[in-house]
Amino acid sequence: MNFWFAVLRQVGRNLRQTWASQLMTLLTVSLSVLIFAFFYLIYTNMLNVGGKLGDDLRLIVYLNDEPGPEMQEQLRRKITDFDQVQEIRFISKADAYERFANQLGDNKDVLKDMPTDFLPASVEVVPLKTLRSLNQVKLFSEYLSKLPGTLKVQYGQDWVERFFYFIRLLSIVVILSGSLLILTSIFMVAYTIRLTIMGRQAELELLKLVGATNNYIRTPFMLEGLLQGFFGSSFGLVSLFTLYQWIKTHFSGPGILNLFSFTFFTPHILAVIIIISILLCTVGSYMSMQKFLRI
Amino acid sequence: MTDTNAPSPPIIVEMIKVSKSYPPDIKALADISMTVETGEMFFLIGMSGAGKTTLLKLICNMETPSNGLIEVSGQNIHQLKGKKLARLRQKIGVAYQDFKLLTDRTVAENVAIAMEVSYKKPPIISKRVKDLLAQLQLSDKHDTITGELSRGEQQRVTLARAVANSPTLILVDEPTGNLDATTTEKVMNLLNKCNSSGATIIIATHDESLYRRSNHRIMELHRGKIRQINGGVQV
Ligand SMILES: Nc1ncnc2c1ncn2[C@@H]1O[C@H](COP(=O)(O)OP(=O)(O)OP(=O)(O)O)[C@@H](O)[C@H]1O
Ligand SMILES: [Mg+2]
Repeated sequence: MNFWFAVLRQVGRNLRQTWASQLMTLLTVSLSVLIFAFFYLIYTNMLNVGGKLGDDLRLIVYLNDEPGPEMQEQLRRKITDFDQVQEIRFISKADAYERFANQLGDNKDVLKDMPTDFLPASVEVVPLKTLRSLNQVKLFSEYLSKLPGTLKVQYGQDWVERFFYFIRLLSIVVILSGSLLILTSIFMVAYTIRLTIMGRQAELELLKLVGATNNYIRTPFMLEGLLQGFFGSSFGLVSLFTLYQWIKTHFSGPGILNLFSFTFFTPHILAVIIIISILLCTVGSYMSMQKFLRI
Repeated sequence: MTDTNAPSPPIIVEMIKVSKSYPPDIKALADISMTVETGEMFFLIGMSGAGKTTLLKLICNMETPSNGLIEVSGQNIHQLKGKKLARLRQKIGVAYQDFKLLTDRTVAENVAIAMEVSYKKPPIISKRVKDLLAQLQLSDKHDTITGELSRGEQQRVTLARAVANSPTLILVDEPTGNLDATTTEKVMNLLNKCNSSGATIIIATHDESLYRRSNHRIMELHRGKIRQINGGVQV
């Protein structure tokens, strides 16, 4: 009770004495949270989009000959050797012919003179809907094209590759801005606290001499870091939400945003971002304090 | 000599063959062995540069000895760490020769600091502060910024801070250097009061008037060595 009274009094003094640099730190922390969260938000939404697009993604392996049951088994094994897949479907020449005919509908007649086995047999491979397996769809197709008896492999369209290239790029940006967030919050907070410590050197030395415990000296600064982390990240996230709302209202209508139904972070992710920022900032102030207390 | 039949009072400060040199090669203290008993008022004299301040700094662990052993309340103060050291320091009040006041804080805040550190309740702190300032004739300076005070006033604020938390050991370095006779008397009254309520007091001073008519023990330092120890209760 008295301990926390003393701590809060000290925090008040610190804030009063160094409010300018405290404010700078707060802004830096919220800006880096904003930058990180911005890219992360785009990233998670793109993942959603990717997931939806991936629903239709399948690789079609055209075969030279109609595979017998033994051959089917062998193919199945070779395919699952490469990666787990969601589904493998064999389509015989007759099936292919029928499908094609159904697709033609009323124009079926044009097939009248064709033999029923003019279309090649094929295997449809539906990859798992994880980002990893979507990512390596190209490798997969190369692998499949080298299987014996393969005529040709076809998968989705160009966009699959380009889209996943984009997502990979985005994930690099997310990692970079995440590192930026870590660096700025730890070092800016450590720096401000160091500044505060230097400004109060005489007092802190005296506190040690009159028998203040390390906790008595340290806790106010840790609390300061904690507050920086909490308010900085909340402020950054609120700004991002405002930006998000603004974009939503100004770009509503039949645009790309509607197509993919852009969503904001869930409360769960918001909480995680705030808690991590708090941890980072507290670690920053702890580092500064340890350096001082050891002297 | 003290009566050998009476149980000797426990020893609060014990120094055994303590030396202290400052870099590069300044011998401030050499081979000091002495004890201070609990409840004693002990004077430390010697000319300027003799090593008085250094000795007090060693006792409160502001400096570490180059050699020798120092025990305070039976504990080797230079091996204590963390909480234990903090707790022992809360029991030692020091009035520094260079004051070490927080010059941007008020007198009351300066005096309160030691009590705050040991979590005394705010009403108790403010009562004690007012009481002490009254005894040292500083009542009207309660809310003055200490940087604006005269040296004599600052000296008394330092003393008030040293005794505020009712420590068991009080180290006073040159308490009356800037004071007139009347104020000196007030200071000594306060110290005597602390002493009679049980605190051990070690005073480093040049001021002969402080110890001349007392029968307290007096240790004289000369160039870092003990020249003589006088006084004590004579039989
Ligand atoms: N931090 C230091 N670094 C180097 N030398 C020091 C330091 N502190 C004290 N000394 C030297 O140690 C010797 C003893 O100094 P000390 O301050 O203990 O003397 P003193 O008896 O308190 O003198 P005074 O009566 O003037 O206060 C002096 O020669 C001084 O120059
Ligand atoms: Mg001195």
